This record gives sequence, structure tokens and C-alpha cells, in this order.
Amino acid sequence: MSKGLFVLVLLVVSLNASVAPAQEGHPLTGTWSGDWGPSATSRTHITMVMAWDGKTVSGTINPGPDAVPVPAILLDVANWTIRFEATGKNSSGAVSIAAEGKLDDIASAHRTISGTWRQGAAKGDFKLTRD
Amino acid sequence: MRRLSLLACGVAFGVLLSTPLSAQRPASAVYDTERVVQLEGPVTRIEWATPNAFIFVDTRDAAGLVVNWAIQAASPMELARDGWKRSALQVGNIVVVEASPALGTSRKALARSVVLKASGKRLFTARDAPRTAASAGPAPRWPDGRVRLGAPPGQKGHWGGASAKALAENRSTPVRVNDDGLLMNLADADRVAPFQPWAKAVYLHRQRTRLKDDPLVGCMPPGGPRQFLMPNGFQFVEQPQLRRILVLLGGGNRNWRVIHTDGRPQEPAAEAVLTFYGTSVGRWEKDTLVVESTGYNERFWFTNGGLPHTEALRLVERFSRPSLGTLRYEVTVDDPRTYTRPWTGGWTVQWVPNEDIQESFCEDNPELTFVR
Repeated sequence: MSKGLFVLVLLVVSLNASVAPAQEGHPLTGTWSGDWGPSATSRTHITMVMAWDGKTVSGTINPGPDAVPVPAILLDVANWTIRFEATGKNSSGAVSIAAEGKLDDIASAHRTISGTWRQGAAKGDFKLTRD
Repeated sequence: MRRLSLLACGVAFGVLLSTPLSAQRPASAVYDTERVVQLEGPVTRIEWATPNAFIFVDTRDAAGLVVNWAIQAASPMELARDGWKRSALQVGNIVVVEASPALGTSRKALARSVVLKASGKRLFTARDAPRTAASAGPAPRWPDGRVRLGAPPGQKGHWGGASAKALAENRSTPVRVNDDGLLMNLADADRVAPFQPWAKAVYLHRQRTRLKDDPLVGCMPPGGPRQFLMPNGFQFVEQPQLRRILVLLGGGNRNWRVIHTDGRPQEPAAEAVLTFYGTSVGRWEKDTLVVESTGYNERFWFTNGGLPHTEALRLVERFSRPSLGTLRYEVTVDDPRTYTRPWTGGWTVQWVPNEDIQESFCEDNPELTFVR
């Protein structure tokens, strides 16, 4: 990559970062993306959409044909931790999903949730960043 | 080496571009308003600009070295009301400044008073009270008898300072906040509004972090009641022939808002394009303009102090003018996703006669353009 092109790429990245709109409502509302996995080299992408209706935060993991509904996402505002359970599908049938995590940098447009993720017999960590 | 320089240059430029402009940063997020320092020395530079004037003063530190301080003063309009014309201060004048220093190590301070040392003349004193005398007389009216919200015929003026600094639920004993909406006592949070638990936690987080994440810092508009708390005021332009009222704002990038008075229905929530000022439909109930607004996005704070809201926010505002000099503003906040019940707050606003609103743009950024 030429130096000029490198600087141009850097500027475009910086500009992109500057225009990300913040979301000042319920801190879980929105689309989040990231991954989970048992190790740093074995990761599975996750897209998760969460919405607050005034009583419950509900969500969808990987919206689309393989969507997994998450009926309730529990948020403890005392320490900004979340917890949810869902039932997904894999080649052998239904698989349970359970996750516990902590919401960090709640004022940021790109706040994050990270913690532990269980899917069937597998266990690992996950990290989601709000898009 | 050259590659490194180029990289450093790119990074620096990138960081600059990604840094939000911050003309409207709450003072509490920038200055330690609990502290006062005294600075004395010659004026080295004057920036007579909106929304705030800046003067720069050379002082000497404990080691005798010259330190240049950037002193933020009020807006030129407010300074003029105090009798401080642009020519009152010259580069080279020795001044004595009492000011709140910036948080951190920046040599920047918020002026509380500025005195010319040679004459003892006080050029500026920060004040909480409105700086204009109340305008006496009855509310002006249109030929059909309806109250005018703007200037009397043939005159000019605008609405200026509000009697409150932030929105809070009406109480017999008002909640005490500073100029930016920071609670004097965090334990008063429950008296501000009937929060849902998440909303109270977010509000307290914003308060504890001294409002540093205020979207206004990133030049987001002051939607909702906050538009009537901006330091540069606002005015109504009534256009009965077009069946609408324009609200022109002195702050928030000189935005404007439309209140439709043509009786149109509110758009269904699922179809609304969500905006900072929402969709407003108004009607007159005797001498009170009642405005219902929905369709707000979640990208702004609707009052100083950082009260949260969601897209479900619905506001009912009531504007009345009991006299020429007073506007009474009352707003009912209905957002069942954020608050446990609808609640009402408000304030009065004072008429500023014979003045036009001064411009105030976010690009006019003292922190990046004035301060080294």
C-alpha cells in the first residue's frame, strides 16, 4: 500500500468514526454484533437485535432464516449486567443458549457487552458491540 | 522516518476529524465550578465571538514563568447588557480575573468577574438572575383578539432567559440544580421525575460523569423542552396564513421548529420519520397554545441535566403569555418506556425587548479554534 493511500484509508476510518450516531435511550436498544467461542481462534459471528417495550427487553439472535428469538433479556442496572436464555437450532435439533455479560461504556454509541456464553455443551466467551 | 511522520500526521488529522466540535459543552463538564482562582496580568488577545467571548491573559506561575490563560466570558450580547462594549478592553490592559478553572490541567477558566486593574472598573460579573428588566404591560394581541407570542407590532425582541435551568417535575420545593442541570444533591434524583429503574440509572450515570457525554457537545440539536433553556433565547414567528408557527432558536445551531396549526392528525408512530424536534401539532385553547409532539429520535437529551427518553416520547406543551414580559411554559412528559407515569414541569421565560437573537453556531468552537 502506498503511503498516500495508507493515510487516505486512515482518514476515512477516522471520519467514519466521527459520524456514528449516538443512541441515548434504553442502553440495550439497537443492533449489536460480535462473536462468541471457546477460544480466541474458534469464533462464531453473532448479530443480536434488542428492543425495550417499556416492560421487557426482548431480542433476536442472527435475524433472518436462522433467527433465534430471545423472549427476555434481564438487565441489572445496579451493576449493568445482563442475562438471557434462548433455544436455537443446530443440525441435531434444538440447542439451549445462555449468556451472562456486563455492559461497558454505557454512554458510548459503540458500547459493548462481554461475558460468558454457553451453547449446548460448548462454553466460551462473547463480546458484542453496538452498531 | 518520513513514513513515521506521514503516519503521525495522518493519525493526528484523523483524531482531529473524529473529535466532535464542542461549542455547547456544559460548563460543569469543562470547569470545576466549585473552585475559584484569581488571575492577574496583561490581556494578550480578545475573541469577541458567539456563543462566548474569550480573553487571554498572561500570568506568572510559582516559578515565575509566563502562563497564558484562556478566560471564557459570557456571550457578547450578555456582555453588552452589562455595559461591556467591545472597545472596553484592549490588548495590554492589566486585568484581575476571578474564575473557575478547567477540570484537568488545561489553562482555561470560566470567568466570574473581570476587573480593570488601573481603574478598578468591573467589566463583567457572572450572574444567575436575568439580565434584563421585566417588560411591563399586557400581552400583545392580534386584531382577532388572540394573544401574540412574538413581538408587538412594529417592535422587535425575543424570549430570553428561563426561570429554571433544567426540567423537573413540578414541586412545591423545586429541585436544586446548577446552570447545567447538575443536581446539587444526587439524592434528589427521585424528585426530578418518576423514573423507571433503567432510566434513573442512566440519569445518575450522566450526573456523576458531569454531563460529559451530552450530545449537545457533538452539535446535536436541543430537541424537546431543552430548546427553551438555551442561553441565546428563541422567538416565535406566527404565520396564520400558512397555519403554522415557527420557533426560531438562538442556540442549537440556530435551528427552527414548525408547529402546525392546521389541525392535521399526528402520523402513526410506525410510519413517523423520527427527528430531533418531532412532529408538532398545535391548537389554541383560549389564550393558551397547546402543542402535542411525537416522533422523536433517541439521539439527544431533551433537557439540561441528562434526562433520558425513548422513541415513545410524547410531549404536550402549553404556552401562555400572561403579560408582555412573561411566557409561561409547561410541558407534560409521557414516555411509558422511561417513566412510570406522565409528569409535568415548566418554567417562565422573560421577554427581551429591542434585541435580535444573536447567532450561535457549533462551528464557532472556542475549544478548537481559540484555545491552544
